[in-house]
Amino acid sequence: MSTISPVSASLTLSQILERSDVWRGDALARAPLPGVPTGFAELDRELPGGGWPRGSLTEILPARRGVGELSLLLPALARISTDELAWLVCVAPPYPLYAPALQACGVDLSRLLVASAPGRDAAWACERSLAADGVGAVVTWLPEVQVRSLQRLQLAAEASRTLLFIFRPAVCASQASPAPLRLVLAGEEGQVVVRLLKRRGSVQPVPLSIAIQRPLRLKSREESHALAGSVPATPATRSVSLPATACCHHPS
Amino acid sequence: MLPGLRLAEAWGFLPGLSVRERDLAREQAALIRLACWAGNFTSEVSLLPPRTLLLEVAGSLRLFGGAAALFERVVAGCSEQGFAPQAALAPTPLAGQWLASAGDDRACLDTAELPHRLGKLPLAVLELPARKHARLVGFGVRSIADMLRLPRAGLARRLGADLADDLARALGDLPDPRPRFVFPERFAERLELPMPVDSAMALFFAMRRLVATLCGWLAVRAAGIRECVFELAHECGRGPRSATMLVLAFSSVTRSAERIARVLDERLQRLELPTTVLAITLQVEAPAALPGHAKSLFGARGKSAGDSLAVLIEGLQARLGKDSVHALSAVAEHRPENASRRVAPTVMPFAGNPDSAGPERFPSRRTVARMRERKTFGQDSGQNVRVVGAVFPLQLPAGRESPPPSAPDVAKAAPGPRPLWLLAKPQALDEAAGRPQYGGPLRLLCGPERIESGWWDAAEPDAVGDVRRDYFVAISTSEEWLWIFRSPAGWFLHGLFA
Repeated sequence: MSTISPVSASLTLSQILERSDVWRGDALARAPLPGVPTGFAELDRELPGGGWPRGSLTEILPARRGVGELSLLLPALARISTDELAWLVCVAPPYPLYAPALQACGVDLSRLLVASAPGRDAAWACERSLAADGVGAVVTWLPEVQVRSLQRLQLAAEASRTLLFIFRPAVCASQASPAPLRLVLAGEEGQVVVRLLKRRGSVQPVPLSIAIQRPLRLKSREESHALAGSVPATPATRSVSLPATACCHHPS
Repeated sequence: MLPGLRLAEAWGFLPGLSVRERDLAREQAALIRLACWAGNFTSEVSLLPPRTLLLEVAGSLRLFGGAAALFERVVAGCSEQGFAPQAALAPTPLAGQWLASAGDDRACLDTAELPHRLGKLPLAVLELPARKHARLVGFGVRSIADMLRLPRAGLARRLGADLADDLARALGDLPDPRPRFVFPERFAERLELPMPVDSAMALFFAMRRLVATLCGWLAVRAAGIRECVFELAHECGRGPRSATMLVLAFSSVTRSAERIARVLDERLQRLELPTTVLAITLQVEAPAALPGHAKSLFGARGKSAGDSLAVLIEGLQARLGKDSVHALSAVAEHRPENASRRVAPTVMPFAGNPDSAGPERFPSRRTVARMRERKTFGQDSGQNVRVVGAVFPLQLPAGRESPPPSAPDVAKAAPGPRPLWLLAKPQALDEAAGRPQYGGPLRLLCGPERIESGWWDAAEPDAVGDVRRDYFVAISTSEEWLWIFRSPAGWFLHGLFA
């Protein structure tokens, strides 16, 4: 308190509360920049700025790979690449990204850059990407990143207008992190359940269940169960066999 | 030390003196290298061997922010190239030469000033033959001012017409055309290091000189490079003479010395030198046209985005390796492994940014051609491609619901769901009670989608070959959405719907 300068002393409380880096505990913070809509209205409502925050680090902690963690980001990434004509940079994805699926989701492949970077180089590559003009979003997988690197990345993100998503395993949820926004994801009944572990503002009351884009809508367990028993035993034969699809039509 | 001293005497004065034979060929090569470097400032360069270079800079003054700024840059750049320049700026070439050899580096921009400025110079700057010099001294001429006071006709009669003409040229009374330096057709410059160097970082200094030379040469030719090769010649020693090749590649045509130096720095940091380096050669095989570009009136920020990305791509490639940074392209192929292809990243041309423009800069042209070629091939051999099972109760994602029947891209009309991640190699899954296992039994949600294709490259070594697979979307007990297939060899995990 002793460091308050004369200028700040003349500010009123309401002026201070207007600042984007000051927020009340019972309301969502104001974001310095409007966020990028996530494509899911129920999630937008819960995020400060009404979407994924620009110029900030967002940490995503999926319970397992394949619960829909990337599909959750795709509407925003597609918007950035096709509407804003900005580049997407993926650093160190754990598996090769599949171009036809990305294209089908609306990502412009001509503005996608994939960098496979081992170990520490991944964080370095992110930092370089954040510093470049024309990069709209950086998506990276850093399972073993140090807190110090996260701090550097958050500072680098703040200096830009770029979205930065970092995927880390869900066990990191218990560790402290400099990310202003942290989400824990789990799959449930074909949807992804988002728990906002940390955000600027009040604590999220209940986890959100979000219907991301999936190959099909999951029906109740009994309905879709029948398929398992009717797998064609020998796909090696060069004949058209349609037993499984027939079963799908008439679930018993 | 004075010229004309005998070697034995010189050693007498300075026992530690190291003596070298004068190598005129190398001096000439150095002068040519400097002339190339001077291309950074002007295309009108004239060589006066053994040690003088004339640059005509009247056309460059504005670009470099005035005479003083340009002069400073030339002198600083020259020292950076490893020369100790004695430079002068004057309105006539001869006056420039004389001022420079007298060490007068104050800029003189007006011919009217010349008699006064040149007048102060001693006779020695004229480099006259000793006989003529002696005669002039005999007249009582000590400086050029004394000479200018003498009647020209008399001077020409007594000392020859050339001296009088030289005076007239220096003062701008007579034209003084100079032969123009012809920049070499190919760029291959060799720089001998003064001493063997064993640290890569120490090489950076010398290599930067070559880069600056290259940029001058490129500027004059209105060209840029996509690739250049440094050859580091090693000490011969015991083994055969060897060389380390260092290839720098750029994602767009460039002639920016900073950009080249940045990539060079990144590469040198990871370079391991087998032994000491004696000389460096810089070669450029195929320079591409790169016209200069007009600066925008309002300094738009977006214009630099293409450049900035090209720089990013180069930076990443220099550190991570060229193959580690790539873009993706979707190919119309039924086999999933082949439908996604890694391609070299290309920066799209930006309007008003000719730096990255050019016919070869359009990224998708080759890819599109390849896709078309593939497609016709696929159609011709249509009976070998069978995709079965497009009748699932699928909730097709938006954009895929009604593919136009004449869509040029077959991949978009693909019938089944495709995962965001495709494993590099299918991972074998265990089977228990007729069901595939992945941390527990998998529930099959939809399928099969039969993909049976690829007989034509079955015999090729690195190709996927002939596949016969039934693909299913499956969900694991821990809610992972997987793309699995069954082939004659059993169950395999092939992708994740991340």
